[in-house]
Amino acid sequence: MKKVAIIAQTKEGQLTESTQQLIAFLSSYHPETIALVVSDGFKFNQVAASTAIQVIPLSDALWSDSASIQPLVAALDGFTVFGIKSIYVDNLLSLLAACSSKELISGIQQMTYANGQFTISKSIFSGKASLSLTTETAAYFSFNRNFDFSASPSFTEQSINKTATLNPSNGSKAAVIALKPITGSIPLPDAALVVGAGRGLKDPSNWAIVEDLAKALGAATACSKPVSDLNWRPHHEHVGQTGVKISPNLYIACGISGAIQHLAGVNGSRIIVVINNDPEAPFFKHADYGIVGDVNDILPRLTKKLQLH
Amino acid sequence: MKILVCISCVPDTTSKITIDPSTSQISSQGLTFIVGPYDDYALSRAIELKESMGAEVVVLHVGGAESEALIRKCLALGADSAVRINGSPTSSSQIATAIVTYVQQNPMDLILMGKESIDYNSGIIHGLVAGALGYTHFNPVMHLDMAGESLQLEVEMDGGKMEVSCPLPAVLGCQEPIAEWKIPSMRGIMTARTKEIVVLPLECNNQVKLVKADIAETARKNKMIKAEDAEQLIDLLKTESNVL
Repeated sequence: MKKVAIIAQTKEGQLTESTQQLIAFLSSYHPETIALVVSDGFKFNQVAASTAIQVIPLSDALWSDSASIQPLVAALDGFTVFGIKSIYVDNLLSLLAACSSKELISGIQQMTYANGQFTISKSIFSGKASLSLTTETAAYFSFNRNFDFSASPSFTEQSINKTATLNPSNGSKAAVIALKPITGSIPLPDAALVVGAGRGLKDPSNWAIVEDLAKALGAATACSKPVSDLNWRPHHEHVGQTGVKISPNLYIACGISGAIQHLAGVNGSRIIVVINNDPEAPFFKHADYGIVGDVNDILPRLTKKLQLH
Repeated sequence: MKILVCISCVPDTTSKITIDPSTSQISSQGLTFIVGPYDDYALSRAIELKESMGAEVVVLHVGGAESEALIRKCLALGADSAVRINGSPTSSSQIATAIVTYVQQNPMDLILMGKESIDYNSGIIHGLVAGALGYTHFNPVMHLDMAGESLQLEVEMDGGKMEVSCPLPAVLGCQEPIAEWKIPSMRGIMTARTKEIVVLPLECNNQVKLVKADIAETARKNKMIKAEDAEQLIDLLKTESNVL
């Protein structure tokens, strides 16, 4: 790992906390070069790392085929490339890996590197199991969001040195027709706190109590599959096996029985609270805290208690 | 229009996963296998396209003979033919290489698959295949329609969605609500019996060594709080669990 590159994620032009942790984690292996591939709109000029930082800015255009991605393939020649799971990062890494004929490993939960060999623990079956594997030849790695970087030591601030912005080669005929960002709510995959609700709420008009609690907590809202199938809530809130998989610090499940498909989307949560009027709901077996009671009674009381403090 | 749908055959979503102590790998004992739910969405959309505008739909699976019943189910749903690349792949790149090799000899206009398989959750095979073939890649696709010579797609992105115009040939990772899952008709089941499943050898080497699998158990506190004391929850989240 002499030359390390990171597909960096930014929020309002600044590196996200998890990207900074990934830089510190890789710095602990003391590579000779660290490059950050970052969206063109970045606003930082210093990064804590073990070595000088080279920034490769990428335009926000579509990088959707092997022809358009060639400038980045060339810039990353000889680098071992890392990223933290997102739609953008995994799509980019998979095209890069294919174009350079190197192995990509995704869903990484733990990683160590010694004597030219990576030892990796990969999360499988939506976190129900893990797979240990070793590789000497893989060059692209995607970490899970809840990868534990906590042991990372701190490094000194390095000034950055920036190359020219890379634009896709004009090979691609794909074009954006419209962008539809989700506004006004906290994005679910990144949220540290999540309040989810299911069919136990009985009717979409009852969602105010869920939204009030989420607002008092500063949490994102989520829902079960039946609820999004009934169009009570938007599809992007569906958490579970075939929806979004979340790993927040706290997940509060309201009126959700806990079908195994729902658990597959939330079992990466650090603390799970289950509120349900059915004491037999299977979700209670997977809860840190459980309350058997009516959501219409409990949720407003929790919201009130939070607002008082 | 020639559409290839790549399917994974995975344990049913309600399966209890166990380890086979003799191999230290996931045990297939007692598991019921299904076509990957995301792949099922991809196949359903391909069948809809075939019905609405005419297309030839080929199903491809990389795996062993035990998957033939599930491949036959895809044929019963309306796929025209199937290919099974016989082997036990152990990495995403092995599967991707097998698909790429097949498509290089049998060019396709559109390659659909699920956004990820629900066993290994890697979600990268569509990107690896697109990159190697030089096809356009989008993932995860929520709506797919033909618009003249190209596709009009709605694609999820981090923090939102986008509508894109996508030229063919393309490789797309699919997710709901791209189509409704379908149930084979009796006529479909009958005609599937005579449709061909071509078996080809898996010929690429693997460079990743699997050491062992483990079951991940998250120990939960399982503390019950009485409904009348519900407010205590907030204190426990603050002091005992430090999440607020």
